[in-house]
Amino acid sequence: MLLSAKQDWIGNIRGDILAGIVVALALVPEAIAFSIIAGVDPKVGLYASFAIAVMIAVVGGRAGMISAATAATALLMVTLVKDHGLQYLLAATVLAGALQIVAGYLNLHKFMSFISKSVMTGFLNALAILIFMAQLPELTNVTWHMYALTGLGLGIIYLFPYMPKIGKILPSPLVNIIVVTLVVYFMDIDVRTIGDMGELPDTLPIFLWPDVPLNWATLSIILPYSVSIAIVGLLESLMTANVIDELTDTTSDKKRECKGQGIANIGSGLIGGMAGCAMIGQSIINVKSGGRGRLSTMVAGLFLLVLVVFLSDILSIVPMAALVAVMIMVSIGTFDWSSIKSLKTNPSSASAVMVATVIVVVWTHNLAFGVFTGILIGSLFMAQRLSQFMYIESDYDEATDIRTYNVIGQVFFNSSDKFIGFFDFKEAVDKIVIDVHRAHFWDITAVSALDKVVIKLRREGADVSIIGLNEASETLLDKFAVHDKPEEIEKIMGGH
Amino acid sequence: MTTHEQGCILACIDGSELGNSVVEHAIWLAQTSQLPIKFLHTIEHSHHSENAHHEGTITPNMKEHLLDELSDEERLESKKLIADGKAILANAKQKAEQAGLSNIIAKQRHGSLSETLVDLKDEISLVVLGAKGEDHDGNKQGLGSQLEEAIRAIHSPIFIVKDAFGQPKKMMLAYNGSPTSQQALNQIKQGQLGDLDLELHIVSVHKEQAQAQTLIDEANTFLANTELRLVTRAIEGETVEELTQYQHHNQIDITTMGAFSHGKVHGFFFGSFTTEMLLECSTHFLLIRE
Repeated sequence: MLLSAKQDWIGNIRGDILAGIVVALALVPEAIAFSIIAGVDPKVGLYASFAIAVMIAVVGGRAGMISAATAATALLMVTLVKDHGLQYLLAATVLAGALQIVAGYLNLHKFMSFISKSVMTGFLNALAILIFMAQLPELTNVTWHMYALTGLGLGIIYLFPYMPKIGKILPSPLVNIIVVTLVVYFMDIDVRTIGDMGELPDTLPIFLWPDVPLNWATLSIILPYSVSIAIVGLLESLMTANVIDELTDTTSDKKRECKGQGIANIGSGLIGGMAGCAMIGQSIINVKSGGRGRLSTMVAGLFLLVLVVFLSDILSIVPMAALVAVMIMVSIGTFDWSSIKSLKTNPSSASAVMVATVIVVVWTHNLAFGVFTGILIGSLFMAQRLSQFMYIESDYDEATDIRTYNVIGQVFFNSSDKFIGFFDFKEAVDKIVIDVHRAHFWDITAVSALDKVVIKLRREGADVSIIGLNEASETLLDKFAVHDKPEEIEKIMGGH
Repeated sequence: MTTHEQGCILACIDGSELGNSVVEHAIWLAQTSQLPIKFLHTIEHSHHSENAHHEGTITPNMKEHLLDELSDEERLESKKLIADGKAILANAKQKAEQAGLSNIIAKQRHGSLSETLVDLKDEISLVVLGAKGEDHDGNKQGLGSQLEEAIRAIHSPIFIVKDAFGQPKKMMLAYNGSPTSQQALNQIKQGQLGDLDLELHIVSVHKEQAQAQTLIDEANTFLANTELRLVTRAIEGETVEELTQYQHHNQIDITTMGAFSHGKVHGFFFGSFTTEMLLECSTHFLLIRE
């Protein structure tokens, strides 16, 4: 363990340090913006980003992934902060961390496999829309200066990288912040600055136990928020880990990541920071900047703290317009634009899942609800498709007056009506044979559908016998595990 | 040298200075043990992109673009590593054929050395490794960065090559009574380490002479009635220092000992005897794992 960890730390020192600095520069405006989304002082998001990045560097399961205060979790806190204040947010953050540690021990990361590509695309698109919507309050009921400055900022962000030489060295979001700040400062334009949004950190963070009464009333207030934060945090973190796994062609320890996110959130809550999780955009920036190891995440966290503690006076005069420009960039970059094009080409069920996920998120402002909706609708579509894998052959032998029904395929809740519909109850025959040895009865709905058919046929006066019921209902037992037995899978695919 | 029935001698080679010596030692071990020989070359990605971008802008479809870029870069790297490895393997195979061996396999796999050893562990009887790989060429002192991890990854005996090949004549067994050193003794007695035709020096070092002597008596009794050419010696003093001196004065070619019987955490805090010996002694090593 120690040895491989050593490689994670010192295997790429130069690349990690450079990338960590790039990430820290990008993290500062984001952490401030996410604090504003959550309705807390900028220092809450900045302390959180420092604490989470530094801790996840040590305890996380994915080297080179960046975690900090995020939009996804900030969006969940808005009403808690508005109704109950910061201290309840800190308590909810600690509780969310504890829940994530429990989730890690319960191996809940394995449920990630239920999240389809469509749900993931919907998650990202919804996140992008929410980040953009969160900027609208800054852009309504303001003077034209605000629009001009935001436009200037966006222009710099997207055009500066085309500048020869320096365009590839200096991060353009940082250039945007410097230029827009200088313009406002020297032209003395009266627009809102970060300093107007609340307190910035001027000291190192200190350990603080959240100042809330430890009773059931508190728990009933914070628990729903903590559960949402824990779920959304793990979702985005595990998704991001998959993205980084894919980009770097390496593997990560998802269980350790779940527990690590929990530890990092507890740590953040105890030094006055808000909850966070992994950040897809920043993690990709880290990889793109050459960051691969744990050191990059650690440097990002430490450098961020140095930046804000020493530069808090300068930070406070940065206009909100520069920040809004950065956030619009994050929103544009997070949105999966190709998914709009593929709405036409993808199967309509996939598009429906993606769109439903987006709608539910934008409506509830809770990414967890959107993901659950996406999973649910996706599963229904899947059940619908599976129910097509069933048909019944029927054969009548005139000499003996025997009608034989040959059931083939998957019988379960969604296909049981179709199953019943295959039988001709009006036919007057002496004897009926239902051969189910090539069918699979997946649930008790399937079994009771068979019962229904048998009773109905008996009522019409036929002698009914069933062949192969034992084989058919093997699948009914939950213990029927086919995953490591190719011959069992073969049976299900091709009949017994 | 059979610890497993159908195992082979696995020679892990790369383009390093020690690569040729590893091949020659593996051939010698295959001849004495009558086991098939397998040459292994691992292709390990650096996973460090040469073209880092520091603009820090989140752009649309950034992931897809970056994925394309990184996979293109690694594809070229892989192709080159595979071609280099093929040449190294062909060279090794030719040497083995010239030495009269017939059962020769050459294999290339992706992944780190230790990962690969774990994957292949069922078919290995003995691993032959260079003390340091191509990343450490020219560094006279020191061990390869992957060595400890590789040794810890498997449980078959491991032959560590530290220098050029010369027909080995004398082997020293560092005996301290530990389970792995007893295992080494046992394997020698059973002939599991093959017909190496070596003079065997059993050396025990202890802070007290009497203790060292007890260990030697133990080993002598154990090996009584064998046809080994034995030299035994009990020494009072500090283990690594005395063993190093002994091997130096007696022109020992190979040191045999148990390796890494403590966990990594123990090694992290107290230092590892195995690592110290590997660093200090100039002989080749035959390490016995639990």
